[in-house]
Amino acid sequence: MQRRRGPADQYGTSTVRPPDFDQFWAEVMAQASEIPLYPSLEHVPMRSTEQVDVYEIGYDSLDGLRIAGWYCVPKESYIPPPYPGLLIVPGYISEPTLPKSWARLGYAAVGVAPRGKLRSNRHFNPGYPGLLVHNIVDRHTYAYRGFYIDACRAVDFLLSRPEVDHSRIGVHGSSQGGALTVVTAALRADVIACGAAGAPFLCGFLDAIELTHSYPYEEISEYLRRHPEREPLVRETLMYFDVINFAPMVRCPMLVYIGLADDVCPPETGYALYHVLSCPKELLAYPRCAHDAGSYWAMPKVKAFLAEHLEPAGLPG
Amino acid sequence: MVESVRPADFAAYWAAVDDELARYPAAPEIEELPRHSTGFSTVYALKLTSIGPYRIFGYYCVPRGEGPFPGLLYTPRYGSVNHVPSYEDRERYAVLQIMHRGQRLADQPFAAAYPGLLTHNIDDPGRYIYRGIVADCVRGLEFLLSRPEVDRQRIGVVGDDLALLVAARRPAVTAVQASNLLLYRLLEAAERTDEYPVEEINDYLRAYPERREAVARALAYVDPLHHAPDIRATTLLCVGDPGALGGTEWLAPLRAALGGPVEEYRLTHEGGVDRDWLDAWLARRLGAEPRPLMWEIGGEGQRGRAFRHDLQHT
Repeated sequence: MQRRRGPADQYGTSTVRPPDFDQFWAEVMAQASEIPLYPSLEHVPMRSTEQVDVYEIGYDSLDGLRIAGWYCVPKESYIPPPYPGLLIVPGYISEPTLPKSWARLGYAAVGVAPRGKLRSNRHFNPGYPGLLVHNIVDRHTYAYRGFYIDACRAVDFLLSRPEVDHSRIGVHGSSQGGALTVVTAALRADVIACGAAGAPFLCGFLDAIELTHSYPYEEISEYLRRHPEREPLVRETLMYFDVINFAPMVRCPMLVYIGLADDVCPPETGYALYHVLSCPKELLAYPRCAHDAGSYWAMPKVKAFLAEHLEPAGLPG
Repeated sequence: MVESVRPADFAAYWAAVDDELARYPAAPEIEELPRHSTGFSTVYALKLTSIGPYRIFGYYCVPRGEGPFPGLLYTPRYGSVNHVPSYEDRERYAVLQIMHRGQRLADQPFAAAYPGLLTHNIDDPGRYIYRGIVADCVRGLEFLLSRPEVDRQRIGVVGDDLALLVAARRPAVTAVQASNLLLYRLLEAAERTDEYPVEEINDYLRAYPERREAVARALAYVDPLHHAPDIRATTLLCVGDPGALGGTEWLAPLRAALGGPVEEYRLTHEGGVDRDWLDAWLARRLGAEPRPLMWEIGGEGQRGRAFRHDLQHT
């Protein structure tokens, strides 16, 4: 028989939080904490302006990988320090943002390229498609184990900067960036002051693949079509990476925005995430909007939300 | 007033590209990708030779069953990755998603930088990266036109400026749908934004102010404004907000220059609505069935996505 989709906000995912979820991530974080960050900065005069300095950055992460990113910071002559820190996390196929326009608003902003992205793919490059199912039968080597940590260590990079106010660090992204926003806010709950997550990906993986056949989730469907016998292992692995399971760890204020016609990250899974966030939270749900998640209307609210909590000193707009 | 000026040797420049394309056989290699194939469509990895010579990549998808099928070319986005075509397109069209030189799967030996690609060799029209990128897209269209399963009377091209340039270079195109133009009046656009990728131009000109004239010259060859008179296909321009880059006024010179029938669609910023409208427009032009993804869910006034293969629970 065929099941009609019910109201998106009443959809219940099959996500289950493993009993050792916290322990698993505590061990991963402990392992990561033993790795010196070795942060590097190289000024990029070509992309710097009278208002903003741009740097190529690097730092070490799990598995001996060097992670790349962009760091944009207001010039002292434009806005004096200290600055709130802002981590911008990328979508699945998008290139890491060079967050110059955020720096112009007064943020010390990092656009990170987790493993597999351009400039961070020299020793790890499962490709697109590919990343989402790389070692998907083993939580200890699944691609997102390191990928999540790479994003978290960008927070450590910000903490290494003397011009950054450690009490005002936020995170923002959409799609996979929305997922990374929640994960970073969860794993670095001691630091992150607020997060804005659009169209969150990586929520209710195995429910999502029943709700959509759009990529990237389709990668998992394709994998399971070829290896149906591995479904239990895949399910087990993904429970450790399901963003819904990170949500209870988030303590800072969160803004979530979704499109109710999103075929890439089904709105049902966005609602499921939002429901289990126990922090101060706000949801913006846009009818008829797709994976854009209503960004036309949401982004002014995102900027206001981040400004309210992080208090940058730059001019609006 | 439009700043971009059509170079005097514009026609010769592109004739030389055509000559170079003709000099190198496409030498297609087609290999099925069972991982991506479904019951209704076969997906192939495609390799072709473009100018340079340079080997490019594409995902080529053919519906199962009796053809011929309408052909559809997706030109590459500005970024390193392009997805495998959607189920909805694979069901109706022989659809090709090209990866131009420098993008993933076509990044040996040249890997594009982001930011960086937009200004790669921009001071020399003969070496500007978009000369080759346009050729890569044209090569993709030529491949579609060479296929027996493709109905040459029903060819669509979807993308940004590259879709317009392909339609200009090859009159076989039936319908072209263009949105998010990047190369159109780019020097003027750069004065109105600091958002990437347009900001790459500003970065470059800050570093090399003395090259502004050379940059303007290189960009003029790839500005769709100057290709527009050669486009005979029915063209749909996606239009943004009034007064904005991409708005009606901004696109007016392009619209006026187009050589074939032109229509405009005012984007609503509601991605679901826009997607369905654009899908239906193209389907009508190519003799295919629209595949709307919108449906009423739950009977409570909410709207969400329905999918070609609704939830199957037995």
